[in-house]
Amino acid sequence: MVEDDPKDVELSLVALEEYNLANEVIVARDGEEALDYLYCRGAFQNRSADNPAVMLLDLKLPKVDGLEVLKQIKSDEKLRMIPVVVLTSSKEEKDMVASYKLGVNAYVVKPVDFHEFVNAIRELGAFWAVINEPPPGSIKKGV
Amino acid sequence: MVHQVFPSPRLLSAIQRYGLALLSVSVALGAAIFLESLEFRDVEVPLFLFAVAVAAWYGGSGAAGLALILSCMSFDYFFVKPIHTLYVTASDLPYFAVFAAFASLVTWFSTVRRRVEQELRQARDKLQIEVLERSQQASLLNLTHDTIFVRDMNDVITYWNRGAQELYGWTPEETLGKRANELLRTIFPAPIDEIRGELLRSGRWDGELEKTKADGTRVAVASRWSLRRDEHGRPAAILETNNDITERKRREEEIQLLNQQLARQSAELAGTNKELEAFAYSVSHDLRAPLRHMAGYTELLHKRLSSALDEKGHRYMAMILESAKRMGNLIDDLLAFSRIGRAETQKSVVSLEHLVKEALAEVREESDGRDIVWKIGTLPNFYGDRSMLRLALVNLLSNAVKFTRTRPRAEIEVGCTGETRDEVVLFVKDNGVGFDMKYVNKLFGVFQRLHQSDTFEGTGIGLATVQRIVHRHGGRVWAESIIDGGATFYIAAPKPNDI
Repeated sequence: MVEDDPKDVELSLVALEEYNLANEVIVARDGEEALDYLYCRGAFQNRSADNPAVMLLDLKLPKVDGLEVLKQIKSDEKLRMIPVVVLTSSKEEKDMVASYKLGVNAYVVKPVDFHEFVNAIRELGAFWAVINEPPPGSIKKGV
Repeated sequence: MVHQVFPSPRLLSAIQRYGLALLSVSVALGAAIFLESLEFRDVEVPLFLFAVAVAAWYGGSGAAGLALILSCMSFDYFFVKPIHTLYVTASDLPYFAVFAAFASLVTWFSTVRRRVEQELRQARDKLQIEVLERSQQASLLNLTHDTIFVRDMNDVITYWNRGAQELYGWTPEETLGKRANELLRTIFPAPIDEIRGELLRSGRWDGELEKTKADGTRVAVASRWSLRRDEHGRPAAILETNNDITERKRREEEIQLLNQQLARQSAELAGTNKELEAFAYSVSHDLRAPLRHMAGYTELLHKRLSSALDEKGHRYMAMILESAKRMGNLIDDLLAFSRIGRAETQKSVVSLEHLVKEALAEVREESDGRDIVWKIGTLPNFYGDRSMLRLALVNLLSNAVKFTRTRPRAEIEVGCTGETRDEVVLFVKDNGVGFDMKYVNKLFGVFQRLHQSDTFEGTGIGLATVQRIVHRHGGRVWAESIIDGGATFYIAAPKPNDI
């Protein structure tokens, strides 16, 4: 999960707890950290080289913004298979079009209503981490 | 024309002319015989010469010849011995010859003199006519408002009309004989040699010049030059007409300045629009996040305290959540509204009938379980941005659905009325609660609401959105209503010519 707002992170984790998925979540606080994680550099240089099963990506991020991260992922041979879900506050059509053009796998606008928000996050987690078969080379869920 | 005004002796008929010769010789003969009877001696020759001269003067050379012959014969017959015969002795021949030569000389002199006089008279007549024509032309040139003056090839002014006097302030007397471009302190747009070259090549030149008036003010003129050539084709004079374009120039400069200002302003406007877009974006993003957090944490708190909360506590929690949701809707509507102002309209021919059907399908979702009678009339085509028009219709229809909620049986009619040659007028009519016409001017304002929010929910942006969409199509929107007697909303939009 790439998300700069700690409250959003906390609320998202609460939502994911119901499927026991919270522990599996690695949080990057900005675009640069996300790329560091994916390329196993900086603070993440010792992690296993597997790709995440899904990436939940906010668009408005410090340093490197979400669209830039998305562009990097989708233009890198090793990373392009990672399913990326844009999870954003913005309903801007411009952002949506830009994301799909870059090859995003899903685009979700965070609902203001908490129930809807929890449902959205939970279903996302369930779908991508449980129902969906991730591409080869992804971290398997350690149930 | 000349000969009619001043009849010349040459025009007398031959009979008159020869008659005159006969008459003058007869008179001379009569006078000579009479004078001889009074004992005057040798008067006949001068008298006959005089007769020949008169005939020559008034009758021309032919008459003079006849008078000469008659004179000789009369002289011979009456005065040369033997008298009363035409016999001429050899000794008299030289005398006759001298007389004839002298008479011829008189004739010749008089003919030449007359011819010279005639020529002089003709020349004078011609000159008079020319002077008349010239002065007429000059006074015509004086009548025109245009500034006209003529200068010779040395730039010396030879003609200066009233228009020139009015524009520059000098009288003709003050300018004639002066050098034009020194007097007017002309500033040329190109080297004078180039201008002269063009004038000599093509006979014309025109351009804009700057000159100075008598009072010293500068004046911009549109100047046209025409070259006049003399009969040998040599350049003789330049006719120059000037039109004062100072005011036009000033306006042109003003327009240019205004255009620059306009360009600057529209650049500023574009900048402001960009800023607004950025603002709307951050509203969309940054205002929603804290709202979501408020709602989220309230929900979590609720879950945790659920058992400890009394009824009031539950209600307070519910109010917080409801408010957060409402604010979320407000932000969404406001964003949609601002997007309409910013978005480019993509116009095409749109079937209103299809559009109303689509809007209806969307609105029906919110009117589940209600008894609504829909009356949809025949609708024309419309020229506009499809998605915007659809949004406007959805807003109007959902408004109608909302404000007929208190009716056991709602009736909503969509139709077309008062279609004119250049306008399509669409209306949406309901039998709902209506509104007080007193507040009609508030109806389309942003965040303006005419009903309390616990009776009819809403953000107060729907009709503002409708109005903005209609305005972006160059149309008008208005409404009529009676309190508790339903409301009718009208949209009028200009028709394109090809539908």
